[in-house]
Amino acid sequence: MSFVRQILAKTPQGVHWAKTVSNSSRCMSSVGSRDAPPIDVSQVIAQPEELERKRKLSGAITVPTKVDLSPISGVPEEHVKTRRVCIHLPPKNAMQSGTDNLNHWVIEFDNRERWENPLMGWTSTGDPLSNMEVTFGSKEEAIEHCERNGWRWFIDAEEKPKVERVKNYGLNFHWNRRTRTSTK
Amino acid sequence: MFRAPLTKVIQGRFGSPTHGITSKAIRSSAALSQTPAKAPEKIEVFVDDVSVKVLPGTTVLQACAVAGVEIPRFCYHERLSVAGNCRMCLVEVEKSPKPVAACAMPVMKGWRIKTNSEMTRKAREGVMEFLLMNHPLDCPICDQGGECDLQDQAMAFGSDRSRFTDINHTGKRAVEDKNFGPLVKGIMTRCIHCTRCVRFACEVAGVEDLGTTGRGNDMQIGTYVEKLFLSELSGNVIDLCPVGALTSKPYSFVARPWEIRKVSSIDVLDAVGSNIVVSTRTNEVLRIVPRENEDINEEWLADKSRFACDGLKRQRLVAPMVRMPNGELQAVEWEGALISVAKAIKDAKGAVAAIAGQLVDVESLVALKDLLNRNGGETLCTEQNFNVKGSGSDLRSNYVCNTTIADLEQADAVLLIGTNPRYEAPLINTRLRKSYINNEMDIASIGPKIDLSYNHQNLGEDAGLISQVCNGGHPFSKVLENAKKPAIVLGANVLERPDAAGIHTTVASYCKKLNKQGWNAFNVLQNNAGQTGALDVGYQPGTQAALKAQPKVLILLGADGGKVDREKLPKDCYVIYIGHHGDNGASIADAVLPGAAYTEKQAIYVNTEGRAQQTLAAVSPPGMAREDWKILRALSEILGTPLPYDNLDDLRNRIEDIAPHLVRFGKLESSTFGNLTEQLATSKSIENTKIDVKQKKLREYFMTDPISRASPTMARCVREVSGEEAKEESQRQAAC
Amino acid sequence: MISSCASKSINLVRGGMRAIATSAVQRSDHLFVHRDTPEDNPNIKFEFTPENKKRVEAIISIYPEGYKRAAMIPLLDLAQRQYGWLPISAMQKVAEILEVSHMRVYEVATFYTMFLRKPTGKYHIQVCTTTPCWLRGSDEIMECCKKTLGVEVGEMTKDGLFTISEVECLGACVNAPMVAINDDYYEDLTAKDMQQILADFKAGKPSPPGPRNGRYASEPAGEPSSLTEEPKGPGFGLQPALA
Repeated sequence: MSFVRQILAKTPQGVHWAKTVSNSSRCMSSVGSRDAPPIDVSQVIAQPEELERKRKLSGAITVPTKVDLSPISGVPEEHVKTRRVCIHLPPKNAMQSGTDNLNHWVIEFDNRERWENPLMGWTSTGDPLSNMEVTFGSKEEAIEHCERNGWRWFIDAEEKPKVERVKNYGLNFHWNRRTRTSTK
Repeated sequence: MFRAPLTKVIQGRFGSPTHGITSKAIRSSAALSQTPAKAPEKIEVFVDDVSVKVLPGTTVLQACAVAGVEIPRFCYHERLSVAGNCRMCLVEVEKSPKPVAACAMPVMKGWRIKTNSEMTRKAREGVMEFLLMNHPLDCPICDQGGECDLQDQAMAFGSDRSRFTDINHTGKRAVEDKNFGPLVKGIMTRCIHCTRCVRFACEVAGVEDLGTTGRGNDMQIGTYVEKLFLSELSGNVIDLCPVGALTSKPYSFVARPWEIRKVSSIDVLDAVGSNIVVSTRTNEVLRIVPRENEDINEEWLADKSRFACDGLKRQRLVAPMVRMPNGELQAVEWEGALISVAKAIKDAKGAVAAIAGQLVDVESLVALKDLLNRNGGETLCTEQNFNVKGSGSDLRSNYVCNTTIADLEQADAVLLIGTNPRYEAPLINTRLRKSYINNEMDIASIGPKIDLSYNHQNLGEDAGLISQVCNGGHPFSKVLENAKKPAIVLGANVLERPDAAGIHTTVASYCKKLNKQGWNAFNVLQNNAGQTGALDVGYQPGTQAALKAQPKVLILLGADGGKVDREKLPKDCYVIYIGHHGDNGASIADAVLPGAAYTEKQAIYVNTEGRAQQTLAAVSPPGMAREDWKILRALSEILGTPLPYDNLDDLRNRIEDIAPHLVRFGKLESSTFGNLTEQLATSKSIENTKIDVKQKKLREYFMTDPISRASPTMARCVREVSGEEAKEESQRQAAC
Repeated sequence: MISSCASKSINLVRGGMRAIATSAVQRSDHLFVHRDTPEDNPNIKFEFTPENKKRVEAIISIYPEGYKRAAMIPLLDLAQRQYGWLPISAMQKVAEILEVSHMRVYEVATFYTMFLRKPTGKYHIQVCTTTPCWLRGSDEIMECCKKTLGVEVGEMTKDGLFTISEVECLGACVNAPMVAINDDYYEDLTAKDMQQILADFKAGKPSPPGPRNGRYASEPAGEPSSLTEEPKGPGFGLQPALA
């Protein structure tokens, strides 16, 4: 616990904590993504002369190509073309004071109809994506994920800097200010 | 006890005679002194050996939050004053012999705060043990279960076993339940005396009816006398309560938090545009809770917005309907309905008008306008009236809150004209109240005497007072002119008067005088969520244009205000209603096309300060109801003038072409040309009649739109609140 | 048999554990919510008498600007002295005078046990039952009061003259056992004294307050048992060499 907190505290503010989908343990790192950098297979198996050529070419400008995974991702076309993805920060639960699970970006698909299963009273839906909740360390990662999968996306919530509030116990008992509204 | 000084005073020494005079001077100097001259130097403290720099005066709890450590708390709440009575936030500070209450203790330079030390953990365990000793073990039947701070913190910080063994002999403390009204259920045995509800009632809601009575083991939270907690913000105490003592009555035993889906959305039942989270299960909206937005609703929500959601399930239009020759509306298929509607529009040959109602979104407004324009209709108006003379609704700054909601809290002198913000926009009233408390704001109102939940000066009801104040001839003009940040709030209902143009231009040109660098004093407080959006996309305010045109076809887009009736229309006029509730509009319609309510569509709404925000669909529309813009798109196809957008993105692009600010969600674009109002003014004359506001009492607050009129909870509120208000009234009369 | 065994074993287990609540929870016998009654409801008017109004003004003027509400306890006390006890309308009156909400006054009035929020007799008999008084026989005094007046603790006699309360230490332990009747202490009591005092009150000629066993105040009863001789002069007890 304290170790994680220390890391948390040491990293500069404003950086968002990456969080994996599968692993809900509090693994966090200071960079945007916690994925290890991908190993370029071609780099590893290349011949020395090929590497030499590549090195020479490395000064050249490469134009990034748009990666589109939708044809091979296996997601039905209907769920690629017609879906809109909302990228947002999960809102704090108004009923509770804890804020630990809010510091990541989530993608969420537009809601489709749900109905109550007449047998058990469970909720049914015909939407395979309705239960997909993927979390990201940063907005950019989420956007990239949506772009790769061909979903149209929009950002719902913008992060705003936290308002600094002056908290003063003495104000409760101030003699002529109106802050003295209650006895508490 | 007081005998000695008493005799002294009775002998004639009644304090110093300057008491009254000095107090005002001291008060104003206190107000001045709170604005710091320059930012003081930050001091360094260590939270779990991590260095943090904070401003002096920061509390230990805040310093820990900066360091990313969350201290458990029950009584502390960011938006309420510090109470320091739950003791859950005790932490160890090095060299301090006792643990300190983090929420109330300001940090000192170089303090080493240990949030996870042995002492801290023992302190938390101890506090938790005491809290649980008198807390019932009824989590399985408690509505807070699953989203309960006490449950969570007992798991995280409590001991793993209880030493409370006396349950069979003396038992736990038990307190009688209290009736707080139709919205809040009080199960007071569960109360842990954090006093958040008391502080909320006193500080934010301004209703000092809650308090603590008794002491020690007998202490209880309540009203002491039997009365309801009458506030338009009462639902917020449900959120604030960290345990299940105050829970939602309409939502009781409905669902568990892990069963529900949450969708972030926007509220439309007033023009504030509060951010909400809609909780749904299956295809049903179960409850609505607020979502934090510092610029709009902070983290509160007004009762109507929170509890009227059961109106979304009742009185709904679920199938298209066409009026049969026998005068009855009969449900038909979409195809048939659209064909008969299209036929009527075609036959009208351009004599088509449209009136947009209270809850319409920008998408359907734009689609309707495009549709009508393609079919020769030019008369599009809103149901609510506004000043149409002079610059009227042509300049955006004429009809929005230019000061912005968040900035109203910095205002130091405010004049309300013909508005009761407490019920028209409760969350704007909380801002004004905040300013009243923290800024020593002077506030005055022109209109009937109303209770705004804070002290204000009522200048009178006469409309002539407006010109008097704006000419600088009234004592309050001095206050406004001397203020650093003055603001004038015009109620939307005032601008429905025949002399609206005069009032509007008089106030606007006076505000021009009051404006400071970066501060605009002119505000119009709209009370319909659809109004600002409609004016933004070029609808004319007021139904008179539509009625004057004597149209052959009249389209009511959610117009349920009852301002249009059959008598005012030509006999053969074909009325089409597009909307979601069977209310005034549907009852006079020849064809009813069922639309979607705000929880069922992704749509743009513009709030009273001109901030565009979008709702997200939480559930799907019931029955055959469809999203309004899609209905219009389908209709355009049948009319042979297809609209050039097939999906929401295309439509949004079209909206962006018309008004780019409408798709910049959440951002506020400041309005320009505000100073042209005066030059374009036509008349400045104001009639000397009385100014009235529509909602004076709490009972008039609950039902103002088709959704809340259909809501059983709101009906219960009206019933119980009227009863309570009548009781209070009779008591007051008996006392006089 | 079995049950006694069971209870013994439970006790054994309990003995090993530390229980937090080991004694019965002592609850107040007062209600901490208000219920309208014929004697106590907001429709009953309460007004300070003209001379008390003067006192009210005087009390308020003691407190500095901005601390007007500090006069709440004195005003409530004044109201209670005027009315005999503190009805809800008196609390509301005080709230109006101090310009605070009603609830703020209710909070204070319910917090302090000496504000009597239910009808109380003309003579409020407060029998101290804390340890020193109890050791010196406060049980008998209490019993005597109950028997003579025919009411239980917390009740008022039918004629509206007496109310008995059980109170905690009133700080006169040296004269235990004692009772306080309204503002006066009656000390060093026996059951017989108590009967006499009650009879006097009933007859309308209150007996003088103070110790009943012949003491003037809290001096030792009878002769002093120590420090009886003349005080020793300077140099007493010193070594001869130093003297």
